[in-house]
Amino acid sequence: MRDTFVKTLLVEAKKDSNIILMTGDLGFGVLDEFQRELPGQFINSGVNEQTMMGLAGGYASTGKRVFVYSIGNFPTLRCLEQIRNDVCLMNNPVVVVSVGAGYAYGSQGYTHHALEDIAVLRALPNMDVIVPADPHETVGITQLLTSTKNPSYLRLGKSNEPLIHDKEVSITPGKINEITSGADGTIIFSGSVGVIALEAAKELESQAISVSVASMPFVSRIDLDYLKGSAKKGPIIIVEEHSYRGGVGSAVLETLSMQGITAQVALVASAQTNLSQIGDQDFLRNENGINVFSIVSKFKALLAG
Amino acid sequence: MEKIESPFSTAAELALAARHEIIKMTSAAKASHVASALSVVDILSALYAGAADISPKNLNDPTRDIVILSKGHSASALYSVLALQGFFPLEWLADYCKNDAPLGGHVTSKGVPGVELSTGSLGHGLPYGLGIAMSRKKSGVSGRVFVVLSDGECDEGTIWESAMIANHHGLDNLLVIVDRNKIQSLTFTEDTLKLEPFADKWTAFGWETEEIAGHDYQALEKSLATQNSPKCIIADTTKGKGVDFMENSVLWHYKSPSPEDVTKAFEQLSENY
Repeated sequence: MRDTFVKTLLVEAKKDSNIILMTGDLGFGVLDEFQRELPGQFINSGVNEQTMMGLAGGYASTGKRVFVYSIGNFPTLRCLEQIRNDVCLMNNPVVVVSVGAGYAYGSQGYTHHALEDIAVLRALPNMDVIVPADPHETVGITQLLTSTKNPSYLRLGKSNEPLIHDKEVSITPGKINEITSGADGTIIFSGSVGVIALEAAKELESQAISVSVASMPFVSRIDLDYLKGSAKKGPIIIVEEHSYRGGVGSAVLETLSMQGITAQVALVASAQTNLSQIGDQDFLRNENGINVFSIVSKFKALLAG
Repeated sequence: MEKIESPFSTAAELALAARHEIIKMTSAAKASHVASALSVVDILSALYAGAADISPKNLNDPTRDIVILSKGHSASALYSVLALQGFFPLEWLADYCKNDAPLGGHVTSKGVPGVELSTGSLGHGLPYGLGIAMSRKKSGVSGRVFVVLSDGECDEGTIWESAMIANHHGLDNLLVIVDRNKIQSLTFTEDTLKLEPFADKWTAFGWETEEIAGHDYQALEKSLATQNSPKCIIADTTKGKGVDFMENSVLWHYKSPSPEDVTKAFEQLSENY
């Protein structure tokens, strides 16, 4: 996903010199081509995320679209107040880009696990939180972000994420992208956990339960029409690689509550039972309850109602 | 660039008028930070009386100078100077801190002509100004960026990170003025977290550094006029300057002037200026 993002950004940045890529000294082997081809639009600020984010706010205030790139917690939690005051309050056109969503850097330990970022950035006024499912969505969303001006947070995986869509998808801000359609309920996911959602749908299919599977990249702009339809149809499971507290599931539940929509909803998200546990992404997802078994059992429990 | 014509063409006249407004505003609003405002008002007056190329007429010019007051708690000083120079109506000052008024207790940019950045959390103004200066430098756009810091604010790591970045990128369009009044929130700066040798620190970070008398308009104007690299002016100031019972007192970082204090303060101003 990160390579797809940088490649797409480079194409757009060649056409528009106002597009700037800023990094806090990360992206070895990933940002090289951009730096080589567009040195005037590339800034390595050094290891100083707070200053970098303030700098990005000021830079963007001069009419530039500044993409600030780093790993997971560094361009998000480390410089939260700079995002709040210098980007969101001033409504500057900065895109915060994190790589390594969830457990993508699993074996590197909890400092590198991004599990609270959606909750924290989603709480900021003016901030548009966006979580692409796969490289195809990443292309469309990156293109979208080069042509818009609002403060945004682009939460990317790392590398080699499976393709969820079989071809490039047209991206409409605020719209859920349905991948398969079913009659008995819906599994909604954000990010590269789509592969687990699809597997769970297959498992349910084998038990004669037919569900829709849909990617929800726009976390700050909820697709109310889709949710209303899903709520009527049956149970809704929301799958994300993030803490239960305040993530995508919470965003959906808040919206349902505020709109007075009754629905059967269950969340599949990280239990964060052992913060110090080391392992690869698949292992840690599974250990923390982000797995096919959780989705299937929660769906069936709701269905049995 | 032609010389800016403003209602107050000298920093001395502007600063004296602003001192009266600051005292009235902080008293009426029962607001804090009167002494911080009196400390920085001469620096701001020098900038807005002509040292910086900024006026109500050129606000939309992308090549004009930028002034950022990073010590946002001195809002009453900035608002007074801007209002007196015609950036917005003087009447706004009377509504300082009132419900739904444009001017808040810390510097607010939204809807306030002449204010570049909302500040109030320390250590934000310099990175932000650095970003503007870097963008201009990379794009070949002229115009300097002036950032006014408090000395206590230099406890923040972002100040020194910014100092490194500005030097690394050769930003000769970025100028910092530190309001060195030697008092911060709870006590003196040197009893809180030693800043000295303060000028040596900036010099070691690759900045052209000058220490000047911070209430001396000629010294300010001379030092603000030129730079060949990122430059730091350490303006030696007195907290509460101009009103003897407010000078050098931590209490007046917080205390709001009573109506009697205002009368006494105005008497002092007529004696001292």
